[in-house]
Amino acid sequence: MSHMEPTAVIPPLAGTASATHASVSRRALLMRRLKPYLYLLPAIVLLIIWMYRPLLYTCYLAFQKWGMVPGTEPTFVGLDNFTRLFRTDSFVHSIGNTVFYTVGLLPFSIVIPLILAVVTDGMKGKSKNFYRAIFFIPMILAPVSVGAIWRWLFHPSNGLVNNLLLKLNVVDQPIAFFSDAQWAKWIILFITGWKMVGFAVLMFSSALTGINREYYEAASIDGAGKFRVFIRITAPLVSPMVLFMLTMSILFASQWTFAYIDMLTAGGPYGSSTNVYYEMYKNAFANMNVGFSSAAALVFFVVFGLIALGLNALSRRLSFYDN
Amino acid sequence: MNKRSPAFTLVQHGLLALMCVIAVFPLYWMLISAFKNESEIFTASMFPHKPVLTNFTYAFDEMPIFRMMFNSFSIAIMTGVFQMATSLLAAYALARWRFRGQGLIFSILSLTWLIPYQAVMVPNYTLVNSMGLNENIMGIVLPYAVSTFAILSLYQSFQSFPRVLIEAASIDGLSDFGILVKLILPNIKSMVASLGIILFLNGWSEYLWPMLITKDMENAPIEIGLRLFVNSDTNMWGSLMAAATAACIPILLIYILLQRQIVDSFVRYGVK
Repeated sequence: MSHMEPTAVIPPLAGTASATHASVSRRALLMRRLKPYLYLLPAIVLLIIWMYRPLLYTCYLAFQKWGMVPGTEPTFVGLDNFTRLFRTDSFVHSIGNTVFYTVGLLPFSIVIPLILAVVTDGMKGKSKNFYRAIFFIPMILAPVSVGAIWRWLFHPSNGLVNNLLLKLNVVDQPIAFFSDAQWAKWIILFITGWKMVGFAVLMFSSALTGINREYYEAASIDGAGKFRVFIRITAPLVSPMVLFMLTMSILFASQWTFAYIDMLTAGGPYGSSTNVYYEMYKNAFANMNVGFSSAAALVFFVVFGLIALGLNALSRRLSFYDN
Repeated sequence: MNKRSPAFTLVQHGLLALMCVIAVFPLYWMLISAFKNESEIFTASMFPHKPVLTNFTYAFDEMPIFRMMFNSFSIAIMTGVFQMATSLLAAYALARWRFRGQGLIFSILSLTWLIPYQAVMVPNYTLVNSMGLNENIMGIVLPYAVSTFAILSLYQSFQSFPRVLIEAASIDGLSDFGILVKLILPNIKSMVASLGIILFLNGWSEYLWPMLITKDMENAPIEIGLRLFVNSDTNMWGSLMAAATAACIPILLIYILLQRQIVDSFVRYGVK
């Protein structure tokens, strides 16, 4: 096998040989330098067009007043949009709800799935895979279908849930789940969580499968009880995955609730079930208040960015287990 | 090693069975509601006593379901193919060569993970509008033609590919593109397929963006059409569930056929 470049086997022409050879190899060298960038070009260009250009434009719009009406130009308003953010009750309220959804989702993305994963992990292959496959079904369904089904199940007058509650005499009036401020956000949280559980079970299961069985054997020889084994062996070894799911859950909880808020309550009643992302959408496309929406988007881009940095640092500090 | 009493096992399976019911009951309810007749739809009966197809005929009359299904498939396949193509090239470059600015490119890629769609939706909306791609499938697909999630996932797969083989192929005179297509791809087929499944499912389930771009059922993917139907405030729950059933069938069929691969691909790559 020749170790030479293909161009090197071409016999050099007499006379101009050295000059041609030099320019060919310089071009080849340039090509080789440029090659990585050429391969990256489509992806980077598309990212610039559809992610970074709009992000910069949103920064610009955050200081403008604009209704997105064709033919009109944005007008500069300084920091107005930012100060208005925190003086607008509905927006301040939506921050509280965002925290509610983020914290409320943790049982569904961590606690319940961890229990289910540990319980199924001890089982034989067939039943283990069967349960996990069933738990996973909600995850693959599209949010609109899911929203439609739950809207029917929780229907205020004819839904199955109210039907059963009335039959069992739990309530004597049907509950208007989506238009009762006490219920709306709990229902949205429940549906978002219901959809997440299966995915998280899967992630924890794969983390558990990765644990070396010898640890358990050693522990059982030492006579350690089940609970002790969990605390001393399982918990530390799945902790990187717990941290990963925690990060995912915190960063994306509010985005996962978006579709259900839009489909089931449109943020209502009286903004009791809205979150910051839904407020951004509503301000831009319903209230035609693009500046306000952009300012909110920027603020929360930074807030979630800082949270991500913090969690990232935390996971780097904690991920020293079992390498 | 684990000795368990039968009673304990029974409780365990009982608990898991309950969770299974919670997971799939809504789907079951959707299915039977779709077949219930008008007098039965508002009752709690767990099985349609006189199953009818009128809900389906009504739903198919009211909505261009086949058309929307076709739109959904087109969108999901096109976004999947575009994302795969751009990601394969980008991930290959990142894994194959060391070059100036590589660190910067990784930062650019990772940072997109944190950009919520709400922070780019208005500029993208005005851009798609000015391109005249409103109510157009391409308007839905183009902003999703690249996925950093796919790039970084493929980058990891490429890194696990033995470098020695790449060097050997290069010495044998295989071009750089040839190495990607003829050497690496055939060897990581299953990983690429897993990723393809996730990209397809993501494209199918996309919510906010297609909703902004399409207002007309003719141009909408089935999920957005279903949303329009739900919001049209009819109390036709039977036909609504028939439409929802129709919308779920392709995804459920894919899940039944490729269940193992789908589960594996989510384990391998996660979500986003």
